[in-house]
Order: sequence, then structure tokens, then C-alpha cells
Amino acid sequence: MHPVDTMGQTREGAEYGFAFLDEDAKRELRRTIFKAVCIPGNQVPYASREMPIARGFGTGGMQLTLALLGPDDTCKVIDQGADDSVNAANIRNFFALTCPGVTGTLRTEAASVIQTRHRIPELRLRADQILVFQVPYPDPLVVVEPNAATRRRMHGRADYARLWVKLYEDMVAFDEITISHRYPTRINGHYIIDPSPIPRFDVPKLHQADCLYLFGAGREKRIYAVPPHTDAVPITFNDVAFAVESFRDKATGKRHCCRRCGADDSFLDEFLDDDGARVFQCSDAAWCDMRLERLEAAE
Amino acid sequence: MSVLDLPRLWRPETHQALFRRILDATARPGTLADTADLTEGAPAALAALATFCDNTQTLADLTGSLGATDWAFLDVARAAPEAADFILADGATAPGFTPRLGTLDLPDGGATVIVTVAALDGGATLVLQGPGIKDSRSIAPRGLAPGWLAARARWCADFPMGVDFVLADGQSLMILPRTTQITGA
Repeated sequence: MHPVDTMGQTREGAEYGFAFLDEDAKRELRRTIFKAVCIPGNQVPYASREMPIARGFGTGGMQLTLALLGPDDTCKVIDQGADDSVNAANIRNFFALTCPGVTGTLRTEAASVIQTRHRIPELRLRADQILVFQVPYPDPLVVVEPNAATRRRMHGRADYARLWVKLYEDMVAFDEITISHRYPTRINGHYIIDPSPIPRFDVPKLHQADCLYLFGAGREKRIYAVPPHTDAVPITFNDVAFAVESFRDKATGKRHCCRRCGADDSFLDEFLDDDGARVFQCSDAAWCDMRLERLEAAE
Repeated sequence: MSVLDLPRLWRPETHQALFRRILDATARPGTLADTADLTEGAPAALAALATFCDNTQTLADLTGSLGATDWAFLDVARAAPEAADFILADGATAPGFTPRLGTLDLPDGGATVIVTVAALDGGATLVLQGPGIKDSRSIAPRGLAPGWLAARARWCADFPMGVDFVLADGQSLMILPRTTQITGA
């Protein structure tokens, strides 16, 4: 029996062990994950393996997920909240191809492992769930220090003075901190992490969560973690409060709602519909569907 | 010998299942990871080593409990406890060594110390606080010499440097990462 690829074609000679990676690679990933969880927020280097997609397309997250998955897992993959975009769909197909027994799902509550690109699901994750982030740039200090060895030394000593200066300069020049996503977040009072390009809206979900968060940067060869019930504080000033996206209509002052499910508390995507009208819709497709189901059931 | 003929402890699918339980226990220090149903009676400490060790790692066995077969399957190099990635030690005897603590730049170079104890309950109560613990959690390992806690406090005094502990009784494991603060009840 040969595996079937995403195009439905049988591929001769394409037989792999469970979860694609060889056992040595998985064991190294597991050791790295272990140390990452033991030292919350510390970027642990690892030997990022070649994946059948290019680095920068989620290979870090894929390697984490492959090191975690067992045949009784249920796996969900999202890209900006959606299960059906090309990155998420292909990665999910790849897991189906290489991890026999693993069940794919679109439902957040059904998944034991969720791999995500740039969102944290709206539904609060449980203690038995793991969220795996695909990380393009793991180091928040890269905006203030080009030398990797120097950045590493700064992290070890929790020397984040120049990051604070960057935020201060933002306040002087623009009257607000101009970082919209990848907001620097301090973990357990020491390391500051780049929480991957999640919107500000999702940053508070890192704080004192029930689930484990794992971050994998394949191109940059780093793994880091935020364990459950750990402080995760977006850095800001005493007199400048951290603010999430408000989605308020500038004219009316009212918050926009999802055009499908009517949610007024979710992270919204803004786009133009076929008639050129500006509309808003939940970015988290599973959340939107669940709300619609509940609304239909209530009728 | 095909994969199917291997004793269960050394099969890839066992290592995956063990890792997930160890990961859960690491994310929630003080909770138990039960290995009994996965390892056909092999000690939990050996199960932890089987999950993590290979020929890129070094191990110091201070208990002398690993047999030639275990070493062969672990495929891990021997090292002094001061230099080893993994240290297997007996909790009844206070440590007479200083493990690798990592450096400020690379704190993940700190050793993983696997300490065997008589049991993970029934001893004096210790209260844990830190990442992975909501408010606090109590544990009561039995057969852990007092010198261990003093040594651990010393080794983990300068975060992010430190060592990560795995406490093991016969068939279960408990993880105490360097961030966990331990106080007597």
C-alpha cells in the first residue's frame, strides 16, 4: 500500500515511518521541547530538519506537531483562524498522509493538538490541549540588535532596555506603540518572547492559560514555550495601557459585528464583499460555525 | 529483529506516548505521569531515559542500576555527573556532585537529573509554586534525602541557569523544572 498525496495520486516508493521524521529527529525535538517548557520563554536551538515544504511556510510548527502526534490524537490546523486556507489545508493533508490513525478535525473543542498560523482560537483551550505556533521570527530583539550572539546575551541577562527605548520612541513619534502583531510579551518575569504574528487581541490569552503553548521557528531553528498558568505580560509603560484591537466604527463608536454569526466579541477580518461593501466576519472559522449552530439550535 | 520484536519499552510508539505524558507532567509540575501500562514493568526512570537518550547524549548512572542491555538500547555515552546531559541518581543519598547548570546564554545546557525515590507519595509534604501551577500544588515524595532539596535550591538559584528534576518511583514520574519553587509545608 502506498500513501496517497493531496492530489489523490498514489506515490510509488513514498513510504515513511509514522510522522515522517526519523526517530532520532523526533527524540531531539522532544528533548528541545522539554527544555523549552522547563525554561519558559527561552528560545532553545534545535536542528531544524528538511520538510517537504519550504522553510518559512510552517516547518517549525510541523516538526513540533510531528514530534507530538500519536495515533490516538485529533489534530486541527488553522491559518489566520481558518481551516480551509491553502497553508492549513495542505499541512493537515500532510499529517493525514504521514500519521496513520490521527484524526483531522475542524472543531476546536475536538482537537488534542492544534497547529496554528497567527491566531489563538476564540474558544478557551483546555488543559488537555496543546497549541503549536508556526513562528517566522522568534526573536523580539531583532528590531534593536542585528547580532544573534549579542541578542542571546541580552536575553540571558533579561537586558531589554533597548526594546523599551524602541517603545518609548514610538510614543514620542506617534503617540502610540506601533506594534500591531508579534507584540513583545514577558514570560514569567524574565524572557521576552515574540508570540508569533498573533494580533494584540490574542496576547492576553497567553497569560495564565490552561493549555500548553509551543512555538516552533523552522527557518530560525528555535523552539520556545509558554506553560499553562504562567504569567505572560505584554510590555508597556505604567501610564500607557496595553490595548487590543477595538473594531469600533469611527463614525458611530459602536463595535462591528460578524456578518455571519453576529459575534461582537471575536477578532474580525475586514474585507470588501462582491458589491464593494466593507464587511466584517469572525477570523476564527470554527468559532463562527459553532455560534451559528448554537443560534440555529436555539430557534 | 524487526521493530515488532522489540521489547515494548524500546519501540518508537512507546516513546511517543511516554513523551506526551512526560510533557504534560513538565507543563504541570508536581502531577504524576504514569508509565505502568506502557513499559511492561520497566522502571519509570528507565522509561524517561528511553524517551530522551540517544547517541548524541551523555549519561551518568550513579545508581548502578542500568544493565548492559539498557546501555545498549539507550545507545548513550557515559560521562561524569559534572559533565553529563542526563544523571540518574538515588534519592536516598544526598548528591556529592555539581551537575552542569548551563550558561546565561544557553541555559538549556543545564542537566536533567533523574532521581529515584521510594515513592512519590507518603512522605513529608512539600508545596510547589511557579509556572504550570495554579496557586500552589502539594507533593509528598518518600525517600528523598534532605540534601537533595538544598542542593537543588543552590543549583537553581540563578535563573535561567539550573537543572531540571525528574522524580521517579517504580512506575510513575514527576517533573520539577528549575522554575518550580519548593517550600516545606
